[in-house]
Amino acid sequence: MSPANPIADLTYRNYDGPLESGYRWWPVAKMTMRMAIKKKSFWWLGIFSGWWYFVLSIVFYVWDVLAANASPNTPAPNFFKTLIWKDQFLAAFSESQLFLLLIALLIGVGAIANDNKTNALLIYFSKPCTKADYLIGKWVGIFLCLLGVVAAPTILFFMYCALSYRQYGILSDDPWLILKLFLVFPIAPAFHASVALGISSLFDQGRLAGAVYAGLYFIGLIFTKAIEGIRFANGGSQPFADTAFYFSIDGLQIGLAKDVLHTSGSNIFGGGRGMLPPPSAPHFLPFAMVYLVICAASLLLAYSRIRAVEVIGS
Amino acid sequence: MHSASTVTLMPVCEIRNLTVNYGRFVALKDFSVDIPEGCVGLLGPNGAGKTTLLKTIMGFLTPAAGSATVVGKDVVRDSLEIRQIVGLMPEQDCHIPGLSAVSFVSFAGELAGMPPAQALRRSHEVLEYCGLGEARYRSVETYSTGMKQRIKLAQALVHGPKLLLLDEPTNGLDPAGREQMLDLIKSVSHGKGINVIVSSHLLPDIERVCDQVIVVAGGTLRSSGPMKDLKKIQGRPVDVELREQNNEFIEVLRKKGFEVISAATYRCRLQAPGTPEELCHQIIQAATETGAQVRGFQMAERSLEEAFMEVIQ
Repeated sequence: MSPANPIADLTYRNYDGPLESGYRWWPVAKMTMRMAIKKKSFWWLGIFSGWWYFVLSIVFYVWDVLAANASPNTPAPNFFKTLIWKDQFLAAFSESQLFLLLIALLIGVGAIANDNKTNALLIYFSKPCTKADYLIGKWVGIFLCLLGVVAAPTILFFMYCALSYRQYGILSDDPWLILKLFLVFPIAPAFHASVALGISSLFDQGRLAGAVYAGLYFIGLIFTKAIEGIRFANGGSQPFADTAFYFSIDGLQIGLAKDVLHTSGSNIFGGGRGMLPPPSAPHFLPFAMVYLVICAASLLLAYSRIRAVEVIGS
Repeated sequence: MHSASTVTLMPVCEIRNLTVNYGRFVALKDFSVDIPEGCVGLLGPNGAGKTTLLKTIMGFLTPAAGSATVVGKDVVRDSLEIRQIVGLMPEQDCHIPGLSAVSFVSFAGELAGMPPAQALRRSHEVLEYCGLGEARYRSVETYSTGMKQRIKLAQALVHGPKLLLLDEPTNGLDPAGREQMLDLIKSVSHGKGINVIVSSHLLPDIERVCDQVIVVAGGTLRSSGPMKDLKKIQGRPVDVELREQNNEFIEVLRKKGFEVISAATYRCRLQAPGTPEELCHQIIQAATETGAQVRGFQMAERSLEEAFMEVIQ
């Protein structure tokens, strides 16, 4: 192929097709999701985040098989009869927290920081895309990815239990359980999407933003473990320690999930957590307020930080 | 300031008494100009306010005073509508991390409001046009500087803008890449129905591709008008090119009333009253009388560099 006789059409033609004037956040959200699902580690972390459901499935299967093959006085039926179904979903939600954080680090904290690094905001804002479109698009993209990770294994496990162990009360113990689970689904995705974007907007390197978010998470985790130690040392429930148990990124989400599911949680194997009962569910309203304020403040921070060009105030 | 062009072109941008500040620093001061259709060069030294003007046109900066309109739309009030009909090729490297060229340009089209299928089709077209057809599926992060300049042009063109703003389009390019980029700009700005504003401090680039020029320095307008008006010299002198030096020819012309402004070995600049046709007749007559071989004859022009230095001082 010679330049004088190219196969491809190299002429310029004006575009006279439609240019819609609607919201621009959807292309941004689609692109954010597309970038996320291209990463293999997203899929691996997503699969691993449901590991507790996998464990539960095996345990349930084994107990069910034992129950079917045993005489009536074996403990298998008792296991299912004492099982609190919503606590199993709460436990799985708690166990998935670290994976949700890792996914947020993978797809969320770099969302604005990497755009800052490559001057991509100039591309976004040289098109008819507002700051709100950009921020909503990024938020929705991260939120939907995390929502899928939270919701998919939960729904699958619920359907599996509803089809296989219906006789043990998964549908009758709490008829509203599935609706409550639908309310629990957005708790972690919305929180991670908001806070990750807020932190991301402060940096122009995704890794730095990720280190800060991970640092905040683990500082909170260490604090709550210390509180757990205090509870253990004092041999039981204390109002301050019970409340302070939720003063971390995952604690806040678990606390809200407890409120939504109307349970304080329990362990499938009886004791657990040093034989102490889990802290009781926090008061819903103040915790919901704290949750919403953190999300809103993070988004406001991000909104104030994103701009196409550096503007020096007067 | 140079006079307006004899051919009146419709202004694409009308800027009136525009003042733009960065904190206490005044980047543009009481700036007024009509930017006509066609390919217009925005010329000025570094820090003159060229990029500030482009950012204001895009609505990135809010003017402290004055107004500006693009195709009749106010840059503050209608900035989203303006961005739909304007394409910006920024000065600095910019891309969306992790995307191939075709995804990047297609995404830019979707952001501009194009339906996804049309954006994808169009991105293939403009990438071919910008010479990136072979590399369209490569990640933009692996591109060379020249290719990154081209893809910035492609994303600016994808939605079929009526006005294209090119900020230092040949920055960081090697001579061959610069030539190719200037060819592209010349191609896109002539006969395609796209008005182009090229901001640069490189005079040869502006001279090569632009028909009109706006000179900015220190945040103020220094000159605007057609390139040939800017380069025009007062008094209508003519440049005569001879095959070889001929002093007798010069003397004859002196006697005919010509003022010799400069005379090099085989090129001289002369000035005399009369129309160009009359001057031409007299020069040919003098050449016939003295046996001088005239190789060329044209109205004298300054170089753009000379003109630029004069207007910014």
